[in-house]
Amino acid sequence: MVGITKHFDAVRALQDVHLELYPGEVHTVAGENGSGKSTLLKILAGVIKPDNGQVFADGAPVNFQGVREAMSHGVTMVSQELSLVPYLSVAENIFLGGNQTRKTFGIDWRDTERRSVEYLKRLNLKVDPNQEVSNLAQHEQQLVEIARALASQTNVLLLDEPTSSLAPNEVASLFKVIRQLKDEGVSIVMISHRMSEMLEIGDRFTVLRDSKFIDTGVRAEVDEGWLIDRMVLNKPKKSIKTAQTTTAPELVMEIKAMSDRSGAFENISFNLFKGEIVGLAGLAGAGRTELVEAIVGLHPRKSGDVIVNGKVINHSTRATMNAGVVLVPDDRRLKSTIHDMSIRDNLLLSVHGRPQMPRSKRKEEKIISSWVSKFKIKMSSPSAPISSLSGGNQQKVVIARCLETKPQVLILDEATRGIDLGAKSEIYQILRELASEGLAILVVSSELSEIFEISDRVLVMHAGLLAADLDRSSITESDVIAAATGAMN
Amino acid sequence: MSQIFKRPSLSTLPAWFGVLVLEILLIIVMGIMEPAFLSGSNLSNIIRSSAIPIILGIGMTFTILTGGIDLSVGSVLAFTGILLSGFITHMPRTTAVFLTVVIVMVVVGGINGVLIGKLGLNSFVITLGTLGIFRGISYLVTNGTTRTIDTGEFIYVLGDGNLGPVPGPLIVVLVVAIIAIWALRSTYFGRDVYAVGGNEFAAKLAGIFTSRIKLLVYFISALLAALAGIMQVGRLQSAAPTAGAGIELVVVAGVLLGGTRLSGGVGSITGTVIGLLFLQTVSNSLTIQGVSSYWQQVVTGVLLGAAVLFDRIRVQYSGRRKSREESNVTKE
Repeated sequence: MVGITKHFDAVRALQDVHLELYPGEVHTVAGENGSGKSTLLKILAGVIKPDNGQVFADGAPVNFQGVREAMSHGVTMVSQELSLVPYLSVAENIFLGGNQTRKTFGIDWRDTERRSVEYLKRLNLKVDPNQEVSNLAQHEQQLVEIARALASQTNVLLLDEPTSSLAPNEVASLFKVIRQLKDEGVSIVMISHRMSEMLEIGDRFTVLRDSKFIDTGVRAEVDEGWLIDRMVLNKPKKSIKTAQTTTAPELVMEIKAMSDRSGAFENISFNLFKGEIVGLAGLAGAGRTELVEAIVGLHPRKSGDVIVNGKVINHSTRATMNAGVVLVPDDRRLKSTIHDMSIRDNLLLSVHGRPQMPRSKRKEEKIISSWVSKFKIKMSSPSAPISSLSGGNQQKVVIARCLETKPQVLILDEATRGIDLGAKSEIYQILRELASEGLAILVVSSELSEIFEISDRVLVMHAGLLAADLDRSSITESDVIAAATGAMN
Repeated sequence: MSQIFKRPSLSTLPAWFGVLVLEILLIIVMGIMEPAFLSGSNLSNIIRSSAIPIILGIGMTFTILTGGIDLSVGSVLAFTGILLSGFITHMPRTTAVFLTVVIVMVVVGGINGVLIGKLGLNSFVITLGTLGIFRGISYLVTNGTTRTIDTGEFIYVLGDGNLGPVPGPLIVVLVVAIIAIWALRSTYFGRDVYAVGGNEFAAKLAGIFTSRIKLLVYFISALLAALAGIMQVGRLQSAAPTAGAGIELVVVAGVLLGGTRLSGGVGSITGTVIGLLFLQTVSNSLTIQGVSSYWQQVVTGVLLGAAVLFDRIRVQYSGRRKSREESNVTKE
């Protein structure tokens, strides 16, 4: 193999990105959420096609029409969501691509097993090839998926956040495997969100920001500072917050040592005070969504308490709501709106009465029209389906629904995702007004600019742990990125 | 895209509108081909034979709206009759009816509701199980024989008789349908039913007790199946363990034809009533034409498939239309 070079310049999700990959090296791609890393990998793997630009393999231009064609060129991707068949054996999964040894009638299972043992040995994975994949631990399943890639003669392995769900010792053994593959001449492109891991395993680094190529560097010239400088656009801090009242803050909600069963987050404690907006930053998979859903009783939790005004709240959505804590979830379509219902019913969904009681039309119209004028919700009529509204207006309806419960704590998870700029700034304005009226607000966001625009205080989560609790006035974006990638400790 | 003339679009009309048109066309065509079809006795026959499926269909609409289904209604209908035949010889008739309905509702609704609503088990499998259980018990108790019952005037009127000039079953259907429409349209319970079927996660997040709502709809379904069982006894003056066998096919077909979506969240009682009325009119027309009753099951099955297919087409059509409208908006 001479050397693989790939160039792109695809528009929108990726703009004019190029990346070179040499045999037997680990190339890590760094960048914030939404910077286009996964898109880049998907193009390489033939999952999506670039609008512009060209991929070269061994110096010759290639146009992958699909995953299979990419695989036939030796390029295979192992994505975050593993794509194994849980109820088939390890050996069957490894040869799912269909390249088992055949004999006259059907598949030669004995030889298939022998060959799968070979691949497993290469990856230092000691599992019975006849075992069902569903019995394996997460990191073992990941190795099985890599074994499958090897079985289809892969020489370019694309790993999309392979360490996001692994424990430290599992990461170490994965890295051992990666180094070994590297020595065998396999090239690896890896996305990671963890600074220390990138620096540990990477030979060459490419940084993307806002879908654009920023820089490429080799191990010798790259360190933490180099990466952070390029990942973050260090804008001058604009201080929007006007003079803060200096009265002693009043504690509203206290989260005490909360952990969940699946290990998405662990031992999280923090306080929320009246009238403050707290940003919760972190990278994808840091456990933020799970945490806030556990607070409002939707996600199972193992231990920990939610304490509102000194009282411990039951782990139930209705109880949390009655105690004054409500959540605007991260995915409108899946989690908050009921698309077949009218705007009216969606807005009033948290207004509960005795079930057999008739609803009062007059009272409801009054509530609706007050929110519509307050939030400037643009619509034809309250009876129109919620799906007829734009994303921003749908979100306003959901926020109004939450506020109609007269909460003391409002939690918003990625509240402005997929919303146009105008509606975004309107929502920020609404949140500031609510805070000045005394509401405590927790804003989960993957956009640093959003966190910096509205919060008074910033919490940062990294790999399920609370990594930092920073005062807004004394920090820069680099501090948050450092904490979110685990570079601080 | 300029709108030169306004035509009613498919998605602004209620989903049952098409079936209503078919029903009217069928009545006109049959009236021309077979004048006997339009005779008072035949029309009243259609209404009488529709009443029980409609009552069951109203219960079924509640369960399907929450995203579930209740396949046990037919065997619960039979079980109710058998239970009534046992009670009625030992106590006054009204007490017997009351006791039967309460027991059926609590036992059947309890089993289905707790397993599906509280424990979150699959409604299809659980009610398929209770379908078998209550049909089996009905056979066991009666040894497979039909019991004749002297029902008295009240039960007879419910199931088959007239109140003045009006068929009793028609009154029952109207009363039940009106209460159900009111409950779904105007109460918090009704809104919660739609919310649970439309998006259970969102409903839960909004503070709705989703498992309690699911429990309640199986109680409603059992209550209406019990009512249908009493009506069946009144109609036939007997209780047979075979009563209502396979009727769930007709009921589900009617509910879906009436525009209720199988995955929940969308649908109406009006649609269910029209859908089942249509199915009964079809089967009555086939009978008048001298088509074997075996064929009627085939036709019902085909219409069930057609209903689901039509629903899919409607969803896709309105989805396409919406995305086209959105792209228009961006163009402006």
